[in-house]
Amino acid sequence: MNIRCATPEDLMNMQHCNLLCLPENYQMKYYFYHGLSWPQLSYVAEDEKGKIVGYVLAKMEEESDEAAHGHITSLAVKRSHRRLGLAQKLMEQASRAMVECFNAKYVSLHVRKSNRAALHLYTNTLKFNIYDIEPKYYADGEDAFAMRRDLSEFTTELTKSIAAVKIQ
Amino acid sequence: MLLYQNMIIRESGKMKDALDHLITHEHQIPDKLAVTELKACINLELDNLKEARKYYWELLDRNPENVGYYQQLEKSIQPKDTQERMKIYRTMAEKFPRAQCPKRLPLNFLTGSEFAEKLDRYMRPAIRKGVPPLFVNLRSLYDNKEKLKSIEDIVLQYEKCLLERSCFDETESMKESPTVLLWTRCYLAQHYDIVGNTKLALEYIDKALEHTPTLIEAYMIKARIYKHGGNIVQAAFWMDEARSLDTADRYVNSKCAKYQMRANEIAKAERTCGLFTREGSLASENLNEMQCMWFQSECGRAYKRLGNYGEALKKCHEMEKHFEEITEDQFDFHSYCLRKMTLCAYVRLLRLEDSLRGHHFYFTVAKLAIECYLDLYDKPLSDGNKDSLASTDNLSEKDLKKKKSKQRRAAKKAEIQEKGKDSKDVNQKNEGSEENKLDADTLAKVEDPLSEAVKFLKPLQTFCSDNIETHLQAFEIYYRKDKLLLMLQSVKRAVKVNPTHAKLHECLVKLNKKVTSSQNLEESVVEVMKTEMKPLFGGLDLLDFNNEFLNKHKFSLPHQLAGAAMMYLLEPSKQSEAISIATSLGEDMNERTIECKRALLLPLLL
Repeated sequence: MNIRCATPEDLMNMQHCNLLCLPENYQMKYYFYHGLSWPQLSYVAEDEKGKIVGYVLAKMEEESDEAAHGHITSLAVKRSHRRLGLAQKLMEQASRAMVECFNAKYVSLHVRKSNRAALHLYTNTLKFNIYDIEPKYYADGEDAFAMRRDLSEFTTELTKSIAAVKIQ
Repeated sequence: MLLYQNMIIRESGKMKDALDHLITHEHQIPDKLAVTELKACINLELDNLKEARKYYWELLDRNPENVGYYQQLEKSIQPKDTQERMKIYRTMAEKFPRAQCPKRLPLNFLTGSEFAEKLDRYMRPAIRKGVPPLFVNLRSLYDNKEKLKSIEDIVLQYEKCLLERSCFDETESMKESPTVLLWTRCYLAQHYDIVGNTKLALEYIDKALEHTPTLIEAYMIKARIYKHGGNIVQAAFWMDEARSLDTADRYVNSKCAKYQMRANEIAKAERTCGLFTREGSLASENLNEMQCMWFQSECGRAYKRLGNYGEALKKCHEMEKHFEEITEDQFDFHSYCLRKMTLCAYVRLLRLEDSLRGHHFYFTVAKLAIECYLDLYDKPLSDGNKDSLASTDNLSEKDLKKKKSKQRRAAKKAEIQEKGKDSKDVNQKNEGSEENKLDADTLAKVEDPLSEAVKFLKPLQTFCSDNIETHLQAFEIYYRKDKLLLMLQSVKRAVKVNPTHAKLHECLVKLNKKVTSSQNLEESVVEVMKTEMKPLFGGLDLLDFNNEFLNKHKFSLPHQLAGAAMMYLLEPSKQSEAISIATSLGEDMNERTIECKRALLLPLLL
């Protein structure tokens, strides 16, 4: 399994993976929008043949009145590739890039209220907290939990490494 | 912006300048990953191995799961032997105990007892934890016979000891939980499936399911075994079993629909997909809107198998439309990217768009479309015989036929239903807006199927020229158009890709036969064909050429089939001999797959 930053060439295969795994789908244009606006933030996991088995599609929310923060548009790992910790590894890479490239303070995402498995993953493994409930967020009328994860640990790490470079 | 500037410098070949540029502006570029990757890669290119090494270690600290970094690091270290090579991975494994790469990658280059030892250490925790992808992660090692054997030995040993005393081996004192035996058997089932021992594979998976009848992964494995064994109906049944155990998981839902489609149960597959598409609209419509190409290509192929060329072509054209749309999408990004200043990504997008139709989805759809058009050329549909064609065209074996006609009826029913809904929906949706709506019947009654086929062929020739199928398809089209020179071009290109391909042999024979039987050729054409064909046939006459081919590939079923088919083509009187060649299945034959067997018999039985 190989984890790397996504390139425009990956976007179509990410769409394929999304259609296989998740009920929320998007047209190619939306993938291009992510890949061209924030090329540093999306990551893919690929198998030995270069097939995409998991991805995180991410963006920045840059409205001026709030602190800069990242947002996870979509995160998927094929069922056939579970229990390798891929989701966590993908998220770590994306979060770090959000801090480095865009000075993000936190990262947010939405999850279906009924999606217990995802909720468990975000809360227990990925250190997200429920921040709010958005009623009828999904097209079928289901509510969403709005979740957030604080990214200050990455910020501290980054400041340290910059300081280290300066000393050199 | 600076990164883009750097990209231009690099692409003009001035690596040293690029490096200086990067170091000068480093503090102004927030994308640390890009900077480090570039510094590492440029240094490696400039042979500054020590520097490159430093940056690759840095990159691995950031992301210990990037295979490329390990490969580049090895290049910059140039380890003298396996021991030195292993040192890299040992260091990483100690530093990142949870990383997979440092444990998995050495299995690619280690051999013998070292391999066995590391493999053992890799497999135990994975089986203990019940990691479903353990098998797919090891599968690439199966190309190596020795490693395959080694894996088999180890896992059989696990099974034996687990059965006897619930431990991985005889010396171990730690008792394992019963699920360990379960996952061991799941592994063995997948293992025997891939080495072609369907019976044993099924035994193992049934034992696993006996133990835990709720394990979805086990049902999925069972379905896959049936698929590989050629029983797609059973495969679809078991995949549906898996699906029913977790209706909230779209992955198993998608797999199930795919299998149903392979079994030509289109209506069922659409219903399955419909469980995840928006309520109130047709599944196939919603999937089309979402550009769901796997579904559309599977569906198109199923329609073609059923002889419903119109619907199959409709799917092809829908997919072609997606590609057109995606190409057009880029225009909206021109000014956007200039504003956003994400130039590197933008340039990559532009390059991607230039070769978009090189994507394997396009290849699949184009191939399907061409096959449909070729069939339509060979047996054009007249108004009345659309259905009768579907039934006479199919396999002659009785039982297959029965099954098929049943499925066909089901599909037809679904089609009628769908059509009813379809037209309603369309009326509601675009009241007179869209002018060229795709209509299956019109598509099937195409005037000139070969020129339509060429439209799908052109992008393949540009973007998939390293795939032999492209040229074989091209040949089939030009063969029907009697274009000798273009046929020659196609076989020559195919020879470049793979001179020993079985199908290519058929093309060569057909080309030769066509040339010799053609009359009134222009002299220049005759001249060209003569000189060009000579090296292709090694100076042999056609019958000898075919016999030699049969002798040369005695142990390959596809080749024997091709040879037999050509024997029949050249000398119809030798039909029975040709059939006996095609149907003899020696134990020593390679690639004795069921698809093969099916494909082959068809032309002979005509």
